[in-house]
Amino acid sequence: MRPFSYDNSPYPIRPDLKAAYREYWQVLAKPGNWWTGAERVAIAEEVRNATRCDYCAERKQALSPYNFPGEHRNRGELDEVATDAVHRIVTDQARISQSWISGIAEKGLSDCKYVELLGIVVTVFSIDEFSRALGLALEPLPQPEAGKPDHYRPAQAVHDTGFVAMLPADGATGAEADLWKNGQTANVLRAMSLVPDAVRGWMLVGGAQYLSMKDMRNFSGDLGRSLNRMQIELVAGRVSAINECFY
Amino acid sequence: MLSMSADLTNTDVDLQMINGDETATAGGVEFARELMKFAEAVASGDEGALKQSRDELLQSAGNEVLVDAAGVAANFQRMVRIADAAGIPIDERNMTLTADIRTELDLGRFGTASNTRPTTWVDRLRGKLMRPVAKIVLRRVDRRANSA
Repeated sequence: MRPFSYDNSPYPIRPDLKAAYREYWQVLAKPGNWWTGAERVAIAEEVRNATRCDYCAERKQALSPYNFPGEHRNRGELDEVATDAVHRIVTDQARISQSWISGIAEKGLSDCKYVELLGIVVTVFSIDEFSRALGLALEPLPQPEAGKPDHYRPAQAVHDTGFVAMLPADGATGAEADLWKNGQTANVLRAMSLVPDAVRGWMLVGGAQYLSMKDMRNFSGDLGRSLNRMQIELVAGRVSAINECFY
Repeated sequence: MLSMSADLTNTDVDLQMINGDETATAGGVEFARELMKFAEAVASGDEGALKQSRDELLQSAGNEVLVDAAGVAANFQRMVRIADAAGIPIDERNMTLTADIRTELDLGRFGTASNTRPTTWVDRLRGKLMRPVAKIVLRRVDRRANSA
């Protein structure tokens, strides 16, 4: 059966949503820049463990999320550092700090590996959240494909703001020219650009769930959705406020 | 973005909806209360509240609105994690334009505000002065997006 067919959904799901999720599932299964296909799918599996992890729930209540004793609910396919990174991004992202990211780099989770992991976590999480929001079962994860990561790091990446290196606003050039029109970007778009495919995956799914880059400039016209722009931004704003998002 | 789209469509909107104030949903946004409650339930992870708010949104607004709202909510479950996990600050151009809105919604109470430099009185003043100009620019951008 094709993934994301939503045959048992009581609500018709828009074809563009199905298509974006299917395409991302194919990308997820392939080797990335810094992780193999098997590791990428294991990261996705850990996203699902994190949402049911008792240790994460207890740690979230602790005054400090560091040096809190315990063990994550996990499948054991990723090492301890990567497992913790996945769980932290899903369940306690607001307390991630520069010093923690520097610490995990010293333990072998480099900035490139961290950013690719982040891209997988947030994209899989948002696809799962769509299902959960509608009361639907989660889609089985794809079978990983064989192959090795190519260790691609864009030469123009710099560490100028935030916790990780990223492309400068005028750095979407060459192989990265598709990411944004030069200069016309925002920090949230730059955030994962150390691994450009992480941004591409984000734009693929975000374009279906929220708005395409083109429609982000459309504040009053037809967006091809049943919601107008104000309704969309009300949902966006309320979700962000509950998540204590300052950005 | 809510404020901008309300400005450009001359719609009466009380931004306190973002902070969960039910009385603020009485303005010009259709199904505002149901959408606010649904968004809140998705983000809070309360499965009971999620089922109830889903049923209410479905009954009042229908299938298509429910599915589109689920997509937007899911997308913003992702966005906050990207922003916080990468520690990005608010873009400098938005420091001025959204200074008043950040104050109105008291966003400085969030821990991740520390990733952004503090808002100054200069930001607020510049924001007040620039807002009418920004509105004209955005109206043009919006018109162009609609005619494309």
